[in-house]
Amino acid sequence: MTTSFIRSDDFAAFLTAMMEAVPVYGPVAKRSRFVFERLEAPDELRLDYDVTILPPKKLFFPPAQDLLRFDEAGVEAALEPTEKVLLGVHFYDVKAIDQTDLLFSERNYDVNYMGHRETTTIVASNIQNVSGRAFFASVGTDVQPEGHDAFLTAIEGGYVFETRTERGEALLGYGAFQPATDAQIDEAARVNAAALEQCPEKLEHGTEEIATKVRAAFGDDELWNELAADCFSCGTCNTVCPTCYCFDVQDTWNVDQSGQRTRFWDGCLTEDFAKCSLGDGGSENFREQRGQRFRHRIMRKATYLNEKLGGPACVGCGRCSAGCTADIADPVRVINRIMAS
Amino acid sequence: MEHQCHWNEVANIFLPREATIVQAVQATPTEKHFTLKMSDGQPMEFEPGQIVELGLLGYGEIPIGFASSPTRTESFDLVVRSVGRVSGAVCKLEEGDTVNVRGPLGHGFDLDKLRGRDVLVVAGGIGLCPTRSLIQYILDRRDEFERFVLFYGSREPCLQLFGDDLACWRGMQEMEYHETVDNADPSWTGNVGVITTLFPKVQLSPETRAVICGPPIFYRFVIRELDAIGIPRENVFVDLERRMKCGVGKCGHCQINDKYVCVDGPVFSFADVQDLEEAF
Ligand code: SF4
Ligand code: SF4
Repeated sequence: MTTSFIRSDDFAAFLTAMMEAVPVYGPVAKRSRFVFERLEAPDELRLDYDVTILPPKKLFFPPAQDLLRFDEAGVEAALEPTEKVLLGVHFYDVKAIDQTDLLFSERNYDVNYMGHRETTTIVASNIQNVSGRAFFASVGTDVQPEGHDAFLTAIEGGYVFETRTERGEALLGYGAFQPATDAQIDEAARVNAAALEQCPEKLEHGTEEIATKVRAAFGDDELWNELAADCFSCGTCNTVCPTCYCFDVQDTWNVDQSGQRTRFWDGCLTEDFAKCSLGDGGSENFREQRGQRFRHRIMRKATYLNEKLGGPACVGCGRCSAGCTADIADPVRVINRIMAS
Repeated sequence: MEHQCHWNEVANIFLPREATIVQAVQATPTEKHFTLKMSDGQPMEFEPGQIVELGLLGYGEIPIGFASSPTRTESFDLVVRSVGRVSGAVCKLEEGDTVNVRGPLGHGFDLDKLRGRDVLVVAGGIGLCPTRSLIQYILDRRDEFERFVLFYGSREPCLQLFGDDLACWRGMQEMEYHETVDNADPSWTGNVGVITTLFPKVQLSPETRAVICGPPIFYRFVIRELDAIGIPRENVFVDLERRMKCGVGKCGHCQINDKYVCVDGPVFSFADVQDLEEAF
């Protein structure tokens, strides 16, 4: 694959040409924060964003996604994916997408995610500003981001564009790219390395050491109850997490006797997540206590999936830390606390 | 991405198939016993212990274990307890109505680990439904198994399921059937007491393979009895119930620590789940 350069002055024309050919999604400003959205104009793109409110998973795994549609005549799958480009994904979110790709495709291959995923060309981009709770530089450091088609790095006077796949290569046709010089390639590498130095938060230990000690703390109910004492069970830490993918399924009717079966994001921190009705008004909640639910999330992020994923199921974006009203969700604080005990 | 499939070449795992109810019997005040056939005439091929997502469009789906043996290919049985929106709607259906099914799903009983062995099945309450699949299987292929013992416990006589089966099993040579109820009524002449009161009635070999299915607290008591006999825990199989939505290992609701009951189970060897703190 190739490494090219495009001048800042030519970048808007590149975006415009691409947007004319295919829908393009990227980070845009929403009041003082950022969200991934479909670009309407090239100047909406904010590659200087620090972190988006919701991770890009919402493009492949929408917060509400129809799985089936039905009416008197029968039932059919609702999936209709379209080709699109997702531009400006930070490497930690690419790592998270790698995880959901694996989890939705293994064992029972889920077309409702994979259909959207396979029709998306992903262009990653360098981190120009680091968010206030990020720790991506110290988590899962052996795991490299894979599932992107090209990588864009802002340098003096323009962008270095490294293609990773044929799909990424195909995007070169939309802009006035020229081969990158060695000096430009070196500068891009320096820029990307520098971002790793700027994380405000840091895990102090390696993945395996953390996994072993956190797993061993499972039975320490006092610890978990204390960590979760202020938890509102709101599930925000699940909703904003790029590696959370649990869902609920609900059927709804339309006025014309048709209907749909829809999946909605769900989170293991919410109270009824593991509750079963047993009849006679009785029920069994397999994670009834806040501490148990809080523990389940930390176990999943730091231990349960490590073998399958080759690293932890947390990529250090810091969204949960910033999103938690009680300010207790931060994996760095929880893990460093357990490691210190 | 390193996967083999492409989305437009694979079936949607959420797309159900239609089945027709050929018989519907109100088994207890809350449980209804359905006998079903696939509407396209194809047989439902499954293993005892596997589950299906039983659904009604516009209501939703619920996970249910097969209550009949795959050796009986004409039709298959599901017992539905009316506890919520979906199960309540299904329990109003009668013969001739149609439902949707997705499956078979999950991991059933490892029959190879039971073949050629003494088998003990311990069922409590509606735990008899998924184990009935195995019970029928053993009875249909009786010479593949050695001694066959069944313990069944219910809260009250009127809550016993599969009355016709029980009547038949009581006198059967092919199996040793023992039953108990927690609370007797005047008509009851059998054993009264919790499930563990049946254990002194038979002499079991430590080589026995045991299968347990019942309400959550049931497991602890039964395991204690099996430990006392000296049955190693890898030879004990449990059929676990959890809240499930998707049935295909994605939605997360049925997780016990790092296991997904719907794909790793619902049948587990007890040795594999005993250390999972959230299992029992
Ligand atoms: S940890 Fe924080 S974000 Fe998560 S459920 Fe509790 S209060 Fe909400
Ligand atoms: S657990 Fe928190 S920091 Fe880790 S990936 Fe999820 S949202 Fe980001």
